[in-house]
Amino acid sequence: MQPSDSNNPLPPTTPPVASSFAAPAPTGKKILCIEDEHFISELYARALTRSGYDVTVEVDGLRGLKLAQTNQFDIILLDLMIPTMTGTEVLRRLRNAAETPKLKAKIIITTNLEQREDVRAAIEHQADGYIVKAEITPHELVDFLNKLT
Amino acid sequence: MDNLQRYVSQFRGRVVLLLLANNIIILADWWLADVVFRLVGWWLLLALVAIPLLSLTILPWISTRYLTQPTKLLWQAILHIAPDAANVPAPNLQKSNLGRDLITNLVAHVYQLANISDNIEQFSNSKPAKRNLANEFVANSLPLPLVVLAADQTICFSNEALQHYIGRAKDDLLGQSMYSVMDMSFTNEQTFDAWLAHAKANTVTAAQTWERVRLILPDSKKTLLFDLAAYYNRNNPDGFETMLVLFDHTKQYSQDEQAMSFLALAVHELRTPLTLLRGYVEAFEEELGGSLDAEQTDFMHKMNAAAQQLAAFVNNILNVARVEDDQLVLKLHEEQWPEVVRDAVADIALRAKVRGIDISVEFADNLPSVGVDRVSIDEVIINLIDNAIKYSGDSKHISVKAYLTQDNMVETTVTDTGVGIPENNVGNLFEKFYRDHHNRAQIGGTGLGLYLSKAIITAHGGHIWVRSKLGEGSTFGFTVQPYVRLAEEQKTGDNKDIVRSAHGWIKNHSMYRR
Repeated sequence: MQPSDSNNPLPPTTPPVASSFAAPAPTGKKILCIEDEHFISELYARALTRSGYDVTVEVDGLRGLKLAQTNQFDIILLDLMIPTMTGTEVLRRLRNAAETPKLKAKIIITTNLEQREDVRAAIEHQADGYIVKAEITPHELVDFLNKLT
Repeated sequence: MDNLQRYVSQFRGRVVLLLLANNIIILADWWLADVVFRLVGWWLLLALVAIPLLSLTILPWISTRYLTQPTKLLWQAILHIAPDAANVPAPNLQKSNLGRDLITNLVAHVYQLANISDNIEQFSNSKPAKRNLANEFVANSLPLPLVVLAADQTICFSNEALQHYIGRAKDDLLGQSMYSVMDMSFTNEQTFDAWLAHAKANTVTAAQTWERVRLILPDSKKTLLFDLAAYYNRNNPDGFETMLVLFDHTKQYSQDEQAMSFLALAVHELRTPLTLLRGYVEAFEEELGGSLDAEQTDFMHKMNAAAQQLAAFVNNILNVARVEDDQLVLKLHEEQWPEVVRDAVADIALRAKVRGIDISVEFADNLPSVGVDRVSIDEVIINLIDNAIKYSGDSKHISVKAYLTQDNMVETTVTDTGVGIPENNVGNLFEKFYRDHHNRAQIGGTGLGLYLSKAIITAHGGHIWVRSKLGEGSTFGFTVQPYVRLAEEQKTGDNKDIVRSAHGWIKNHSMYRR
């Protein structure tokens, strides 16, 4: 018997077929992707844009923070190892009401770090999700974000 | 130096005068004694002998008092500003008869050295001035950065160590709002602001300390890391309401921040290209999906499966390190076992498929819900199936079964009909890096999977085992506890979310991943 993946929210067994990308869901949601690995942000931006998201990419922690403080995003994808300011520090500052008073965005940590301290810090500062990038494909990320709201 | 010369010649003049006076008194006395002796007789002579003795006592007394007066005034000035001396008043320089210029000058120097005043005329004898002086003296001697805030959180004092630490001048800081000068970041919500607001609302005095406070200097962009101690006193008479002392740990804390274990770094570096590999394979399929023939599609799946396998391996390395580092905290939730197993099987199905192996799954009807940490139990199932795939030989079938044992545990078996394991090696299988010699040449692997699986199952309160016969295949089995039993075990606390500490830590938060 081939296993059924009907229960699996992110079916990795069935590679996405081209048709599933043909008509993007018209979400129009704004995503800020703070990620310094160019190829990764390129892949994410491609998959997300095709699914109807409005994607902004920023490679630098401090600039990403400023961007998130001056613009309203629906979702922020935040890498932890980024230049100028760590992702954890960006998260902390975004969650600090005094510094970032009107943050509406959901913050998803997207990283390949998985030290206990990293996960614990993300939980402490109320990240809305913690994703290990190597464990999901861009399409699976889109599925995950679609389910967020 | 003119003052000094004048003082020396004055001093010399006074000494000459004194000696002269003494000599005159003695000579006059002898002369008088001679006259009186002839006229009166012995008895009065005795009185006259006393006169020089008296002059020897009185004159030195007067002269000492007079000549040491400058020293006294100078001494008094120093004691007056010394922080630990009791209430010594300021010297009255008008009283000085000898060397007034010199003393006035010297006392002015002393006061300038102590930073009181450029002009001695400005110096008053009042008490607050003296206390401020002592405060400042102490504060500037303190080798720790110190800043004092008034009630409106403006800086009313900073010591030299602070000025040096944040690279700002004293006048530049005075009267500034603390937030414009020192925008500190704290590790959690218990910030200085929150504490101060609470202290102002509720108490007269309060003290608090913080660790790992961060301050980014706006000018140099330098980051300072320090521990902070603060003291609040609403009734401070000088309006010095809040005092902050900084203990610098910039070097140590920034080292800690950079110190990432070699393993974490290696895992991170392995995962980045892996992320890309999986992403681009997916993008390829998406672009070419329709135009690929069966073989090309198969290649694509194999590529994808290989990337998944590597990702799983990286997870194994990380988790083994956690087990050995004693960092395992499982969060056991109530789960429906068939659902858990089916999801895990789906995760590995592509890897089986590219090797032409199919997996059957079978569940007994009477399975109760189980208490498991979903993510780590997934890894056990995947490791066992992955093993079965590797050792399946020519057999193309793997069977997964779950049922209730006699002692009411939920047992799951993974059976292949592949190469099997010699009986004498079975006992070693769950040791780290152990691989069956018999198969080592043909089959790759690290021997981490079973070691890790055993650690996870043990932490779940279960048991893992193997039955195998060379040439006939192997069955690996493990048990997990029904949720009801777990909940009974841990009557205290929140049963929906049982935390089990064992040896290691596995990603365990509900928000984690899916």
